[in-house]
Amino acid sequence: MSFAPQKVDWSRGVPLRAGDWFIGLYQPSPETVGFWDAVQHGELVLKYCPACDKCFHPKRIVCTDCGSADLAWRTASGRGHVYSYSEVHRAPSGDFAGSTPYTVGIVALEEGVHLFTRLIAEPEPIAIDAPVTVDFRVLELGQLLPVFVVGAA
Amino acid sequence: MATTTIGSATAIVGMGRALGQRDDPDGPKTPLQLGAIAARRAMAAAGITRAEVGALFTGRTPQSYMVLQYNQALLNELKIGPTFNTEVTAHGGGALGTLQLAALALHAGVIDYALCVTNEASGLWMDQVGSNAAWEGDLQFEAPYGPSTPSIYAQFACRYMHETGTTPEMCAHVSVENRHWALQHPYAAMRHKGPITIEDVLASRMIASPLRMLDCAVWYPGGIATAIVLTRADIARGGRHAEATWLAGFGQCSTHEWVGERMGSWGFAPLEDGPNLVRTGTALAAKQAYAMSGLSAHDMHIAQSSAPFSFANLMILEELGFCPFGEGGRFAADGGIAFDGGLPFNTMGGYLSFGQVAQGLYNLQEVVDQIHGRAEGRQVPGVEAGIVHGHGGPMACHSVVILTREPTR
Ligand SMILES: [Zn+2]
Repeated sequence: MSFAPQKVDWSRGVPLRAGDWFIGLYQPSPETVGFWDAVQHGELVLKYCPACDKCFHPKRIVCTDCGSADLAWRTASGRGHVYSYSEVHRAPSGDFAGSTPYTVGIVALEEGVHLFTRLIAEPEPIAIDAPVTVDFRVLELGQLLPVFVVGAA
Repeated sequence: MATTTIGSATAIVGMGRALGQRDDPDGPKTPLQLGAIAARRAMAAAGITRAEVGALFTGRTPQSYMVLQYNQALLNELKIGPTFNTEVTAHGGGALGTLQLAALALHAGVIDYALCVTNEASGLWMDQVGSNAAWEGDLQFEAPYGPSTPSIYAQFACRYMHETGTTPEMCAHVSVENRHWALQHPYAAMRHKGPITIEDVLASRMIASPLRMLDCAVWYPGGIATAIVLTRADIARGGRHAEATWLAGFGQCSTHEWVGERMGSWGFAPLEDGPNLVRTGTALAAKQAYAMSGLSAHDMHIAQSSAPFSFANLMILEELGFCPFGEGGRFAADGGIAFDGGLPFNTMGGYLSFGQVAQGLYNLQEVVDQIHGRAEGRQVPGVEAGIVHGHGGPMACHSVVILTREPTR
């Protein structure tokens, strides 16, 4: 069983059984598949409302401001700063146990969107407000993910 | 704020509890077994028959009994025919939410008796650490990064400590005082571990910075079910029931789902001014509850929270009105929740030392027991009113209930 996103046609390409309902949520869904496709190309994209000229978390379905469901994908700068973080010493599962300690945190992107992510302390140490730049790495589950490296690009 | 006449319009007239342990002579029990036993005990305490149960409200489906519509499984077992029944799921905040929904239905006059039940036995059947880590984060946008449950709450802790100057030592007072209370309770998970000191907390193993092992909730090693029977004021006063505990006020507020998106959640009370990780829905829930009851934090003789980390209990104490925003740490360090002389807080030991189980409805039962002088070995003298906070993770859903010995309206 792999939790790595695959190019799935939601519920058609990989029919979900009742017992799989939780696992199904690991997979790109119609409203997020554009994000994971972009990650495969080394690109970070956000949801964008053209009417409001505003970016949102990649999960957003409707614009918080105007309510429009006509959201587009927009390439993000990949720059931001550390908003909060935690160094994990006890891993949640065996998959991550070999990597401790590692840091998970929330970054504030220049576009005003916050993302949960892995923070990489190189070359600079991790601290609130430290500048970060996006990178793409294969993490413990074998999945290519956007991560953020501390230090200005 | 909307006005309402629901304060003290309903009362608890029966309670039941069922406890399951690994070494029970007849073996460990499922949450459904515990829930059914507790429900029958509550109905017996209230003196009502199966036919009189007008509504059944259950908390979130037990993690150790994952069926769709757990409420149906329970009503099937109890052989009751409620005219109103549902799960109440504001994450763990739904446990107290069951009482709130019961009050609404009773006050509206569509039922005479409501039965509220939460139950869990994950300590007997599950890998709680692994399971919960998978359930506390967004499965696409958080779980692949490897967050443990504490590391998700640590995002709040990191900002809270950064913005308020709260120190790990201040937070440790919660752990120490919770443990002190747990030592008085026969079924507390950490009772056998003995007392702890501030130094013990600060020297305990780092789990997810800034949270150390003794800053974290412990999973209850067994199972617990809590069942409550409520009725309307006129019936509660009618002489049929031996005891009444008044639902003087209640409130609820939820702000988000997972922590990663919490920062996109704002523009509504209680996050009018912009996104942050240092405010929760508790303040608004408490404001509703106080307004409903006509009481204030000053009137509360006892307080309970199901906040699962030391720092989170400080945030909740602030939002319940026991100290100003950002001052929870200093309040605790100055003896504000001291076992000797402070606010009696988490008098069973809280999630840190009694243990996390069944969405913390045991905290409500504790206030009822305290009000009626039944809290053996840990009785606080003269409890007339108490406040209970129910938390749904991660810091997302907050329920508040105020209970009193006499109606306040
Ligand atoms: Zn818009």
